[in-house]
Amino acid sequence: MHKDNGKLDRREFLKQSALTAVAFGAGLNATRVYASTKRRLSAGAANKVIVIGIDGMDPGLSERMMGQGLLPNFNRLRQAGGYTKLGTSIPPQSPVAWSNFINGAGPGTHGIFDFIHRDPQKQCAPFFSIAETVPGQGYWEMGDHKIQLDFWPFGHKLPQTLLRRQGTPFWDYLDQAGIWSHFYDLPADYPPSASKYGHHRCLSGLGTPDMLGGYGTYQHFAEDGPIRTRDEGGGRRSVIFFENHTSKPPLKLIGPTNNFLIRPEPTTIEFLVHRDLQARSAVIEIQGQKILLRQGQWSRWIKLDFDLSKPALDKHVSGICRFYLQEVAPNFRLYVSPINTDPSNPATKITEPPTFIKDISKELGLFYTTGFQEDHKALSNKVFSDAEYAAQAGMVLQERLNLLQYAMKHYDDGLLFFYFSSTDLQAHMFWWDSNEKHPTRSAAQAKHYFNHIKKLYQKLDAVVGDILNRYGDKATVFVMSDHGFANFKRQFNLNTWLRQNGYIQPAQATSVLADVDWSRTRAYGLGINGLYLNLKGRERDGIVAPGSQREELLQTLVSQLEAVRDTNGQRVIRKVHRADKVYSGQATALAPDLIVGYCRGYRASWDTCLGGMTDEILLDNDSAWSADHCADVSEVPGVLFSNKPIAARAPALVDMAPSILTEFGLNIPDSMVGKSVFKT
Amino acid sequence: MNLLAQIITWINGLTNTLGKFLLTPPIAGLSGWLSNTIISALLGPLLLIFFKYISNQSAIQRARDDMKAHMLALKLFKDSFSVTLRAPWGLFQGALRLLFHSIRPLLIMLVPVSLLLAQMGLWYQYRPLKPGEYTVVTMNLNGNSDSPWPAVTMKSTPAVELTTGPVRIFSQRQVCWEIKARQNSAEPLIFQVGDQEVEKELAIGDGFMRVSTDRPGGQWWDIFWHPAEKPFSDDSAVQSISIVYPERLSWTSGTDYWVLYFFVASLISALIFKPFLKVKI
Ligand SMILES: [Zn+2]
Repeated sequence: MHKDNGKLDRREFLKQSALTAVAFGAGLNATRVYASTKRRLSAGAANKVIVIGIDGMDPGLSERMMGQGLLPNFNRLRQAGGYTKLGTSIPPQSPVAWSNFINGAGPGTHGIFDFIHRDPQKQCAPFFSIAETVPGQGYWEMGDHKIQLDFWPFGHKLPQTLLRRQGTPFWDYLDQAGIWSHFYDLPADYPPSASKYGHHRCLSGLGTPDMLGGYGTYQHFAEDGPIRTRDEGGGRRSVIFFENHTSKPPLKLIGPTNNFLIRPEPTTIEFLVHRDLQARSAVIEIQGQKILLRQGQWSRWIKLDFDLSKPALDKHVSGICRFYLQEVAPNFRLYVSPINTDPSNPATKITEPPTFIKDISKELGLFYTTGFQEDHKALSNKVFSDAEYAAQAGMVLQERLNLLQYAMKHYDDGLLFFYFSSTDLQAHMFWWDSNEKHPTRSAAQAKHYFNHIKKLYQKLDAVVGDILNRYGDKATVFVMSDHGFANFKRQFNLNTWLRQNGYIQPAQATSVLADVDWSRTRAYGLGINGLYLNLKGRERDGIVAPGSQREELLQTLVSQLEAVRDTNGQRVIRKVHRADKVYSGQATALAPDLIVGYCRGYRASWDTCLGGMTDEILLDNDSAWSADHCADVSEVPGVLFSNKPIAARAPALVDMAPSILTEFGLNIPDSMVGKSVFKT
Repeated sequence: MNLLAQIITWINGLTNTLGKFLLTPPIAGLSGWLSNTIISALLGPLLLIFFKYISNQSAIQRARDDMKAHMLALKLFKDSFSVTLRAPWGLFQGALRLLFHSIRPLLIMLVPVSLLLAQMGLWYQYRPLKPGEYTVVTMNLNGNSDSPWPAVTMKSTPAVELTTGPVRIFSQRQVCWEIKARQNSAEPLIFQVGDQEVEKELAIGDGFMRVSTDRPGGQWWDIFWHPAEKPFSDDSAVQSISIVYPERLSWTSGTDYWVLYFFVASLISALIFKPFLKVKI
């Protein structure tokens, strides 16, 4: 998580929250006043609405498969008029898209514009957009430790994590009206927003960190690993040595950072590995537990106790991980999953109310609690093979199917929202719907794994069939996705393009974050789709004057970028959107100036997202992450299915919240721009 | 095996019989808190009576009287300098004498109480496995790192499924298995180690069962605290076998807390009965 991005944002954030709270109160008075929390529904209103969010489910593939009779349940809905493409967000990134879903309005209201934002006052220091960890303030020193007392008269501030999504989420209106809502794995809601009236339960999904504070860091130990532990973006690799078949020195598992120290340090747990070459097996000894694994075997979830030393009583936090013995010989390889928050004893709040996750865990035991559960980084970094990734993603799906059973068992009425990440994170790695050469796979392998995606769609078709059987005649059922999918064949380095066209100076600059001359740089790219002007009065070292200079620059950039062609003459960028045209609302402070909408097959290059520049503007994508959706809004719409005929011509994500509220007989608040999909 | 270990093994034979006979009806039949309360309530006064007969009650009485006299002296002759100086010394001496007369009987009592705790621990410290649960079985072999490894196998039984293993830990001369409980059972696991056949108790079921985590080797301390199973002899290829059992979660009759509850409950019961039993402590 980003730890250090200025007070201005936080003040702004709090101000916005206060404003929306006021607006919320006023809006309620104006529209519908409830004397008690008891529900009053208008005639004909539903008391059950089920929304199944299937991240990244693509209309093109769905339609093809429905045509081939491979998705009978989805097809049944389509034939009854309950199918349409669903317009996505600008840009079509999951945190942005799901925030549109949550607010019933665009990014101008929720303030999430990209996975990555930048702090203009720090001249484009990047940070994750969904949540922010605000460091504590003030402490007393005691040896190596700090003591923080957050009460009068000391008034120290403890560090805390804040949800940066702004505006009023639609379930607040349900909560107010006494209508229950249950969300499982809701994206863009970490830490989960608090429920005012207690009719809301939510398990945070995408955006929830692991215990190391990132989106998931595996740890890998191998005989051919690096002598010095190496970070590799989403993972760490270390070497393992054996003496008499026992690891020596003992291995170290990195845990959460101890913030009670003046110089915070990660906690570690020492553990031993014993190998038995003949049995092709190993025993892992960690914190008094023995774990036996055959080659190729995954352990169950293992609880780990991390000791955060304090001046007085130490604080113990519980984490969970799984071990996977990849190989015993000749190259011993052991994978340890990211350390997840223990759902039976969570160290941080990942559900609303906080006890919700413990209730789930009492029935289901231990399960993934991070937002990104499929370990795509392990595949990208070649720790996993394709088959290993598919197997791990399969385990994730199975856990989620168990969670769905739990969700349905504990669902009476109100709103039930359930989210599947599989279709997104498996598609990023396995989707390939063309005959062109795949970045990492042979044609046969590419086909094989694309078939795997098709099978996944079929599996979800059966899940939807089951839900329809149970609730089809009692509930309004929506099955929706936030965006579709496309091959990611070629990568476009926006910053290199800006440099080559003289917008970034000097000509030999290598990174926006390192060696750019801001006194001569007029625009830069950051995040997956964002382009920012170096605007005077906004960026610390801004040079572009607001007014005509800005206007001229925007127009030139739009026309030049839309004219970019690949070496084979193919168009690269479908449309460049101007933020001042497509965004409106109270939360536009951090919006980029332009949003680059790529054509299918293209995406921002890996380097450019964090400001890096390469020699060439257009390169082949060489990553196992070979499909994406961060294209233009028109290129990757999502899907919407319902068991009621859909009347709207071109509905979009922002119409979902208004549709749900309308189904419950509530009015659509002014803050929302969408309308019910059942009305023309 | 040394003499002490031999003696403890012999005593364990006796306490196991007694333990099974006396503890099984209350513990297996009642809820945990109730059985521990009943045992503690009975034991408090029982230990008091025991104390009465193994301690020198008249010496304790004399020490107490002496202390009382010094207290009285302090009160009466507040103004006398010599008394104020001497009386606390006398009090201190009395307290020492009282301690001296209590230590011997307390030490004697420690033996039966520990034997009882070892028996009770079989019931309360861990719970048996439930069908569907996994655990790890570890066999420690005798010998040193150069000794040859015997062929070791676990015999299959309907009660458990062998899920992984055997896996050898060469540096610790251990053999490990992961097993999954299939059905309720009190039948032992049987291992073939070279040409020797050895057994290890296993408990799968609900509620309360005697759960023996370790079948010990020749160490008297291990034998004392793991009384349920016959220890391995020194010439056996196997040194010990242990099974990991789940902790029992209860403040009155669960892992670790049962001992605390037992001491507090028996103390309260002893204090209640003390006036009726005319014991001086
Ligand atoms: Zn995605």
